[in-house]
Amino acid sequence: MKSLCNCPRWLIAAAGVFLLSALVLAYVGWDRFLREYPAQTFANADERFKYGSIGAEFDAGIPYWIFYVLPRVFPDKLPGPGGYAALGVTWEPGHELPIGFSKRKIGFERVANNCASCHAASYRSQPDENPTIVPTGPNHTLDLEAFFRLLVDCAKDPRFNADTLMPEINLAAKLDWIDRAAYRYLIIPITKKRLLEREQQFKWIYRHDFPEWGKGRDDAMNLTKYFMIRWPMDNSIGPTDMPSVWNLRKYRHDKGNRMNWAGDSHDARSVIMDSALGLLGAKPHDQRDFLNQIDWLLDYLGNKPAPKYPFAIDAARATAGKQVFDAQCAACHASERTGSVVPLAEIGTDAERIATWNEKAAKEANKVVKDMGIERLGLVEATPSGYVAQFLDGIWLRAPYLHNGSVPTLRDLLTPPEERPKLFYRGYDVYDPAKVGFVTEGKLAERDGTRFDTQARSNSATGHDFGTRLPEADKSALIEYLKTL
Amino acid sequence: MDSLKPSIPSCSRCKLILLILLLMLLLIGAYFYIRFDTDRPVTYTDPVEHFKYGSTGGERNLGFPYWIWRVLPDVCADHLPGKGFASVGLIYEPDKDLPVGMSKRRQMGMDRVFFNCSVCHSATVRVKPDAAPMLVVGMGANQLDFMAFEKFMYQCMADRRFTPNQVIPRIQAAGADLDLLDRYVVYPVAVHLMRDGVFGLMGRLRFIHQQPAWGPGRVDTFNSAKALFNFPIERLPKEELFGAADFPTIWNQSKKQGMQLHWDGNNDKVEERNLNAAFGTGATPRLIDHAAVARIQAWDATATPPAFARYFTVDQALAAQGASVYQEYCANCHGASGTDFSGAQVGKVTPLAQIGTDPYRLYSFSPALALNLGTPYANTAYHFQHFRKTWGYANAPLDGVWLRAPYLHNGSVPTLWDLLQPADKRPPKFYRGDDLYDPRHLGFVSTVAAERGKRYFEYDTRVTGNSNAGHSGRVYGTELPEAEKWALIEYMKSF
Repeated sequence: MKSLCNCPRWLIAAAGVFLLSALVLAYVGWDRFLREYPAQTFANADERFKYGSIGAEFDAGIPYWIFYVLPRVFPDKLPGPGGYAALGVTWEPGHELPIGFSKRKIGFERVANNCASCHAASYRSQPDENPTIVPTGPNHTLDLEAFFRLLVDCAKDPRFNADTLMPEINLAAKLDWIDRAAYRYLIIPITKKRLLEREQQFKWIYRHDFPEWGKGRDDAMNLTKYFMIRWPMDNSIGPTDMPSVWNLRKYRHDKGNRMNWAGDSHDARSVIMDSALGLLGAKPHDQRDFLNQIDWLLDYLGNKPAPKYPFAIDAARATAGKQVFDAQCAACHASERTGSVVPLAEIGTDAERIATWNEKAAKEANKVVKDMGIERLGLVEATPSGYVAQFLDGIWLRAPYLHNGSVPTLRDLLTPPEERPKLFYRGYDVYDPAKVGFVTEGKLAERDGTRFDTQARSNSATGHDFGTRLPEADKSALIEYLKTL
Repeated sequence: MDSLKPSIPSCSRCKLILLILLLMLLLIGAYFYIRFDTDRPVTYTDPVEHFKYGSTGGERNLGFPYWIWRVLPDVCADHLPGKGFASVGLIYEPDKDLPVGMSKRRQMGMDRVFFNCSVCHSATVRVKPDAAPMLVVGMGANQLDFMAFEKFMYQCMADRRFTPNQVIPRIQAAGADLDLLDRYVVYPVAVHLMRDGVFGLMGRLRFIHQQPAWGPGRVDTFNSAKALFNFPIERLPKEELFGAADFPTIWNQSKKQGMQLHWDGNNDKVEERNLNAAFGTGATPRLIDHAAVARIQAWDATATPPAFARYFTVDQALAAQGASVYQEYCANCHGASGTDFSGAQVGKVTPLAQIGTDPYRLYSFSPALALNLGTPYANTAYHFQHFRKTWGYANAPLDGVWLRAPYLHNGSVPTLWDLLQPADKRPPKFYRGDDLYDPRHLGFVSTVAAERGKRYFEYDTRVTGNSNAGHSGRVYGTELPEAEKWALIEYMKSF
């Protein structure tokens, strides 16, 4: 037999050894960094919504053990004591991750977010009680801005290195030597780099001349502007309440309904898709899987009913309130007009949110998604001009009210704008059935909530001056009726 | 050609030297490997010995080098309240060089020691003033002043005398046979590693410096748990920081599965409660020896308290009268008897407003902590899933009730007799830590401040977290006629 080359034997042997090691190394590399494991499946739709992966682990995933030890190594970067609980995440006891956080193994385990991180509400009837959690409800306790800052601030800290993180990881995890080396030499440095890359886009959440989002709000269109279409920072600010996402089939595109607070999106599918893409932070890793996820979410959210009011309702008063409602509110909130945009001049609420978005941005964002090869009705290619007249299903759990969450309770919303609370605390989840909304003052509300100042930019509680001069009896009847929605 | 390299020795000799060198290197390598890579605990076949001295795996975390531990009370004698570790309440059995509750493991080229479960769950009892202290395993460690111990370790590590130069000669004087490597490398390094380790831990447990003294027999379990998550103590609400409570008894665990465990009933799974407690022995998910812990669980599943009647006489006729009082007043919450724990409310939580006992232990277990306790042992079969925030205290079964004194979760009531008095008639101050038993009132002698050079801890019920209020009023038996109270106590001696 003729040999392949005239090389000396030892060279062939060495090449063989080299090739074999390369193969082993390649296998280990694939196995520990890239190998895709199937996502966890759930028997129950609510569980899937709360904890299921939507595929965000591929590009936006944080390595599990880094996520695990971050609050332990950097408690000073959190808004308060208590680990991730200090961020106001909705978290069911006995779960390793809060609601809205999914875990998936792609080479190594990673944590990312799904829709439930912003869309699962909690409430309590009294302080001494464990919260009741409502999936698809607005997460009015989550300080999302603090979460975004936490990740960037930790990455910027000189302590974000293997020498500091590994001892903490070793206290909690039993990793084999390959994983320990992988974390030390690759995963930790790469994660640091990736998190730091976000800093530029997040510049506006560090501005001192802007108000804090506070609990339960996010600056949604600015997030889209700075991340999806990567515009440079402008001078706009418009944090809005996390919305409820139940019963989405009520939005009828064919009847002129539009979604998002300022009607910037055409239909539920587009909204779900754009929000999900925001969580993915990149083109979907597996387009088919992504579209299936969207279909499932559309079906789940489309048909999920709003939660019933859990406290006592005075039926007689509610019946009386129905008449007040029909006379005063129905024209916008239970009519053909519901779900479509009311011009700003008519509604009179704070205008800043509208200024965060425009036609050009919508066109660019639509192009970004189209270039991914995804078809959708998408964002409305027009500069917003007002706010959507809301459907009021489950309105009891959607406090604080107005798009910017500037009015703590329904009782306050029925008060003339100049008399509405100027300072209050939001994000405390004890319910106030008298005023219909959450408790927004007192020692505990101040401790658990974030301060909301209606004098700050974009926070004005003006507008929606409807029903505010009704007789007291009508107001309380109306409020009783609103509990039934 | 050969003449050109005359100085090079012949190659066969050269190879031989190389071979010898290589062999020597291998031997040295093997020696170091065997010496420093050994990881072997001292084991015990008897389950009670295993409970007292066996390892949970935690020495590998913060284990103190045996010899340093041995000489530490000499190095820092002035930081201890008395002579040796016995002065903070560690119990030494005759002829033992380590206290009950301390295990030993050969690791990193030396013997390392650390605590196991029994350090907090064993105590001594004297049935007569002149009787020898009898060790009772499974009861709360009534003599152990754990806060004093923690403070001693912290102060000693911070002391300028804690250096290799001071420590190592004492080790040699104590009889250790240290070789050169030990003297100049292993122990000097160990001194520094130990200081680092203790400081790291005590940094996280720094809340103890802000708390009132626990005194013997108590520990703040859940503020210590916050250390695991590195909660910033300074930012916690003040009312969370007074969580000291009695060490509990740990008998009959199999009968307690499914009950709401811990003083506030925050977990209803025995295994999870045990793994959580094992963090205190240094046993983290990576280091824990599950088999060793399983042996303890198997033992305490059926372990029983020693019978009162073995040491004292019981008036059976009076006890029979007390049985009916017990059934009427106590059984629903505390079980049918000392062995039968059936009862509608046994192992369930009574709301704070109803029980009325001191609230601070309840406050110390915050909702945020309950949520964070969903993370330990994540990714394993042992993952914690049962911690819940509660709003009251759990109704405990009363096996071995005579040894559970002082009473209430915070140990604020010295005897059962006192517990049967209305809250405002209970002693406002008393002494804890004496192991002399008072068979009449059921409890330990609590009126002696000091004896034979030993000072007991003055427990002041007016200190935050120490209130002796609650568990008081008609339904709690405090308004019973005196004769019925004595009968009830007589009956409860059978538990």
